[in-house]
Amino acid sequence: MLLKVDNIQVYYGAIHAIKGISFEVNEGETVALIGANGAGKSTTLKTVSGLMHPKAGSIEFLGKDISHIEAHKLVAQGLAHVPEGRHIFLQMTVQENLEMGAFTRKGDLTDALDNVYRHFPRLKERRKQIGGTLSGGEQQMLAMGRAMMISPKLLMLDEPSMGLAPILVEQIFDIIRELRKAGTTILLVEQNAGMALDIADRAYVLETGKITLSGTGAELAQSELVKKAYLGG
Amino acid sequence: MALLSNFINGLGLGSIYAIIALGYTMVYGIAKMLNFAHGDVIMVGAYVSFVSIASLGTPPLLALVMAMAVCTILGVVIERLAYRPLRASASLAVLITAIGVSYLLQNAALLIWTSNTKVYPSIVSFAPLHLFDGKLTITGEMLISVLTCIVIMVGLTLFTGKTKTGKAMRAVSENRDAAELMGISVNRTIAITFAIGSALAAVAGVLFCSTYPVLNPTVGSIPGIKAFTAAVLGGIGSIPGTLVGGLLLGIIEIFGRAYISQELSNAIVFAVLIIILLVKPNGLLGKKVNEKV
Repeated sequence: MLLKVDNIQVYYGAIHAIKGISFEVNEGETVALIGANGAGKSTTLKTVSGLMHPKAGSIEFLGKDISHIEAHKLVAQGLAHVPEGRHIFLQMTVQENLEMGAFTRKGDLTDALDNVYRHFPRLKERRKQIGGTLSGGEQQMLAMGRAMMISPKLLMLDEPSMGLAPILVEQIFDIIRELRKAGTTILLVEQNAGMALDIADRAYVLETGKITLSGTGAELAQSELVKKAYLGG
Repeated sequence: MALLSNFINGLGLGSIYAIIALGYTMVYGIAKMLNFAHGDVIMVGAYVSFVSIASLGTPPLLALVMAMAVCTILGVVIERLAYRPLRASASLAVLITAIGVSYLLQNAALLIWTSNTKVYPSIVSFAPLHLFDGKLTITGEMLISVLTCIVIMVGLTLFTGKTKTGKAMRAVSENRDAAELMGISVNRTIAITFAIGSALAAVAGVLFCSTYPVLNPTVGSIPGIKAFTAAVLGGIGSIPGTLVGGLLLGIIEIFGRAYISQELSNAIVFAVLIIILLVKPNGLLGKKVNEKV
């Protein structure tokens, strides 16, 4: 098992944001966390990547407890987190952004860059452009490309479709499919439940800090509850 | 000729302001805080070099190195003990702490070195240049200040543009969480920033006291405030902006003193700051980039 989250409790100051969540991600799987705004999806990812720490419970990555390790130390272990809202470096060029993604790697980056540019030809065209001048979709591609620079063992994507035009959402999901096919393990957080369930091997439904449902992507897509609450039907 | 002479004096003073302002700008850019104790680190640097030259008899260059070493350690210790525990606190709490650290340093200096003003021996030993039959005099201190400033500016620009640590500093400056997610230790990067800024403060302290040879425990506060003004004027967070802001401030101050009023020179400096900020709120070279969502 690659990632095992066991009964974590997370607080934002006095606010109890995550109330005992458990889930797991196996190697090669694509797992989706779906749920409404404020359900705790982003907080869960932030806690896994070490930007936040749980008050109780444990997070195991590659068999080791990482629940209190700082984020920057987890990157070198192969944990990549593409945060909600991209968070690219707006004043750096596309290529510099990608180089920052490889901060923990030593030596030649040519192969890693080529790999990213193969998935995102658009980034190659714009590699000398400043990040702040990219469109929203391009910034999302850059954020994902940047995370891929370490060839992560687990790639966590937080709302990759947020704020993008439908055609771009399709494009981003096509790329996620490609990454999945190439064997990348993915933990995907999405409000766009339809797209997420379509792509996911398994999925969990989060509601106000708790997991209320889980199953394969197909099972959940058929569930009346999910249909009603998240698929608009 | 007097005009040119004033201009050159302004450049010299402005260079020192620019070096100090770098400390403010880097710390503000990367740690997002105003380190109001920065001016007092200048004072400590000046005292360390003074003691080193006057009591230990070390050569000036070695005294400078000692001052830089002491200030580097001081800067890192201040950050570790006073600012890091407040990393998640409101910026006002950090600001007040910085003011507290400033007074702490001044009072420690009072205890160690007393309030007696000392005459600082210039570290520059070569004679002033006399040009145009002695109508224009360029002092060694002016020349060294300008040259040092140029070297530091070029060095820092290369450092932040080319080295891995420098790029990490830019990344932290732009987006702390994103930098952390790249595997960059934000704490370590901020500590390095304080180390560099404080070493530069020592250089500035030695240059400032060599130019204006008066040394007392509050010697750093006025140049500190003015350099902070220079940083804001040029666009806080920007290295070229700091250079422009520092030089401009030095020139305005010297010209104000020479042609308008000796007493009002500081008021003129701050009036110019207010006017520029009314027109360009981000400073002369400050920029704002918006994230697309």
